[in-house]
Amino acid sequence: MDRNIKISIRNLYKIFGPTPEIALTHVQQGMGKAELLEKHNHVLGLQDINVDVHEGEITVIMGLSGSGKSTLIRHLNRLIEPTAGEIEIDGEDVLRFDENKLRKLRRERMSMVFQKFALLPHKTVLENAGMALLVRGYAVQDFEAEAKKWLARVGLEGNENQYPHQLSGGMQQRVGLARALASNSPIMLMDEAFSALDPLIRSDMQDLLLELQGELEKTIVFITHDLDEALKLADHLVILKEGYVVQQGEPQDILMHPNDPYIIDFISDINRARVLRVRSVMEETTEAPESCDGDISERDNLESVIAMSEGDTNHTYRVMREGKQVGVLDMKELVKALVPTDAAEGNERTRY
Amino acid sequence: MATYDFLFSSLGLEKWCAEDTSDTPLSMVDLLKKTKGTEAQPDSIWELPFPSMDAFHESCASFPQSRDLTKGLEQGFLDIKDNLSVVLDPLTQPLSWFLDGALYAILNTPWWIVIPLLLAVVFVVTKSWKLVVFVGLSLALLAFIDYYEYAMQTLAIIFVCAFLCVLFGVPIGIAMSRSDMMQRLTIPVLDMLQTLPPFVYLIPLIFLFSVTESKLYGIAIILYAIVPVIRLTNLGIRLVDKDVIEAADAFGMTSRQKLYKVQIPLALPNIMAGVNQTIMMSLAMVVIASLVSAPGLGVLVLQGIRNLELGVGLVAGLGIVILAVILDRVTKASLARINAAQKQ
Repeated sequence: MDRNIKISIRNLYKIFGPTPEIALTHVQQGMGKAELLEKHNHVLGLQDINVDVHEGEITVIMGLSGSGKSTLIRHLNRLIEPTAGEIEIDGEDVLRFDENKLRKLRRERMSMVFQKFALLPHKTVLENAGMALLVRGYAVQDFEAEAKKWLARVGLEGNENQYPHQLSGGMQQRVGLARALASNSPIMLMDEAFSALDPLIRSDMQDLLLELQGELEKTIVFITHDLDEALKLADHLVILKEGYVVQQGEPQDILMHPNDPYIIDFISDINRARVLRVRSVMEETTEAPESCDGDISERDNLESVIAMSEGDTNHTYRVMREGKQVGVLDMKELVKALVPTDAAEGNERTRY
Repeated sequence: MATYDFLFSSLGLEKWCAEDTSDTPLSMVDLLKKTKGTEAQPDSIWELPFPSMDAFHESCASFPQSRDLTKGLEQGFLDIKDNLSVVLDPLTQPLSWFLDGALYAILNTPWWIVIPLLLAVVFVVTKSWKLVVFVGLSLALLAFIDYYEYAMQTLAIIFVCAFLCVLFGVPIGIAMSRSDMMQRLTIPVLDMLQTLPPFVYLIPLIFLFSVTESKLYGIAIILYAIVPVIRLTNLGIRLVDKDVIEAADAFGMTSRQKLYKVQIPLALPNIMAGVNQTIMMSLAMVVIASLVSAPGLGVLVLQGIRNLELGVGLVAGLGIVILAVILDRVTKASLARINAAQKQ
């Protein structure tokens, strides 16, 4: 996990209103979001955000609507200007960029996928997919091959000459994805990219993204309000609430050790057996267990282990990573891990 | 004695009032008073006159009358007229050339070239044979009743004026859409142009330019008809989907790329709706402009009114309706084609 830090966000604040600088001093003296709105009529969008995005990982920023996640992602390519703070990409301070440098950053080093697709309705699918190259000044025949390649990669072969309105929502978002991929930028920003799609197609798109990511190793910042989606995609999970970071870390770690009633509330509804992985609940040891009923991978989810054991809690399994034993999983431990956190730690949920 | 005498005496202005009492022209009311020999006695509160310029003038002869105001305005306009003409004349001269050129061309080209040419234009912009047949029959009807020349003059004027409206209106609309300040400054002017009665345009223009010049009616038509294309260009660009603009920004488009590749193409249905309105308003104005020597079907309508020739007036009116229907159908059909190409 020792990857380079690609994007580093430090002490980022965003306040909406006529005089954000004055409001900022109030916030830094400890004024809350509700009080700021009431007394000074300014909206606190983001508050003291510190996030490191590692190269080649999917960083998921999750929160309910109004938590500031879409605001945060728009700071990365400065579609929104921050009130205070620093954003570094590859060690360069983006906020110091002049117009030309910023444009170059947006053209060559970042691409974005939008919730509402935001395709150009008057251009064909092919031209949309090649938009990043079109913007850089290439003619259609120059980028045709590249755009076709990526359209084929997302499963849209043969649709090149159609217009966006002739495609279904899922297909339109595939065009959006192809457009981002064709720009060949190392960083991809995805703003609720799959939220507008129906569940089956959303799941397909998530699988497609994971498959592509296995190959391309882009640095992806993914915004979502859906915890299942976040847990499925995230290498690093950041949970936002009312503009500040409640908890961030490895998703399995957050699941096992939530530090805020807000997060407990979030995770109490999910299917723990499906999202928890063997490595988070196993006992780490290289000693062989006394009785072994089989080998499992550390990346398996608990659901598959339960299926394998056919519900027998007396089983014990060896946990393997790349052919070597790294731990032991007792089915009884597994069952304990499935107990929802709120039941285990007093009924915090009643507070909400 | 007049009602507001006390005002001037209390201010100590009697002397100033008395200074020149002689040479103001008599109004009708004064004349009546003189001949009747009696002076009205407004002692009842019911007859209290509003403290207007004329009422004050009655009490104080040095106070200007309201007709001095209109006279002053007229005099002022006449005084700057010459200087204004020096600037405006050369600026607007090309308009005269365009109009005269278009009129000359359309009248000196034989009908068997002009009509097929017009039909070809209709086909290119609408791709509809039905409309081509409709336009062909309408033009044939107008030609058959010997209104061909008048109709063509009207069409030529509309083409030139509508073209110039688009040429100037679209850039103005774009400028308005890009700056709120520009929008705030322009909207009152547009409101005024749109609400001013069409005849009022003609008054200052008659003073500024000679009635024999074609630019006189050209300017009147353009001022009247340019408003919708400006408004709808502005509106169309402002209504372009914010998400698409954001995507254009996120992919690093320059503002020029954004304008030509995103905003104008997406605003095109609205801009075309504006062009349709502009053409229809030019047609309305070209009839009124016949008062200031604009040729075309309007001349016949005017002749019908002046000489009480009912038949001429009615048939010319019908010809205008036919032209209006042709222009409307053709622009709407091309608008529908654009809409179909880019629905979301």
